[in-house]
Amino acid sequence: MSLDWQPDFEQLVDEHQSMVFSLAFRMTGDRGLAEEIAQDVFLELDRNLGRIESPEHALNWLRRVTMNRSADALRRQRVRGIDLWVEMDENHGAIFEERSSPLGSRLEGLLATLPSPQRAALVLRYQEGLTPDEIAATLESPLATVKSNLQRGLKLLRAKAESRLKEYIRGT
Amino acid sequence: MDDLERELRQGLLRLPAPPGLKRKIMARKRALDAEKTHRRVVFWQRLAASIVLCGAVGGGVTWHNVQEQRKGEAARQQVMMALRIAGRALDQVNAQLAARDSRQ
Repeated sequence: MSLDWQPDFEQLVDEHQSMVFSLAFRMTGDRGLAEEIAQDVFLELDRNLGRIESPEHALNWLRRVTMNRSADALRRQRVRGIDLWVEMDENHGAIFEERSSPLGSRLEGLLATLPSPQRAALVLRYQEGLTPDEIAATLESPLATVKSNLQRGLKLLRAKAESRLKEYIRGT
Repeated sequence: MDDLERELRQGLLRLPAPPGLKRKIMARKRALDAEKTHRRVVFWQRLAASIVLCGAVGGGVTWHNVQEQRKGEAARQQVMMALRIAGRALDQVNAQLAARDSRQ
């Protein structure tokens, strides 16, 4: 921990806006909502800036608050009866296809069909490269639950990928 | 790590933030800061006004009490004076009665 570290809000936004937006977008599947979550997360960071002790602390804090806010947003949408990921399949697939390989965008589409705890674990594992311990700390979940979500998520994803992507994989 | 995990790692790279996200965040932060400053100013103004009002009311009550005490003291002095005069008059009457009794 760097004791003399002074947080610079603007610099933190510069450094982490892509990470925060990506996490929120992959969790909610709604670009507008993800942008709103990202704004709220950074404004909350500004309110709590005095408690942030180091760059690592800022990064972990942002990951944790983004995942919490995204989960809250999903919960609110579920209460209102809106399935964001259905909209994402229809509207946002194009965004992924613009910047990633067809296989990548297919995988993201498949990831979107997973239950949110499994999706959260997989996004943190493969987007952020976190270990199960770090994911457990970020999601404030027991390690066993995180490991189980990772295994089940991968298994489900593999089963879906095998049935849906067989043709593509055979072609490559 | 199997193929699927490799693909996931490659497929789930961070997305670029939407253009203007930072600008929007900074604009909202400025707006919130301005609102916070305004709220703080209003709070101090209200506090100052409350202190002045409390002081005025407290001063008024104290002044009123002091005035009442003074009036009470003056009334007591007047009553004492009246009692002294009445006492003196009674003494004189008493003396005259005693003189008359002795003459008889």
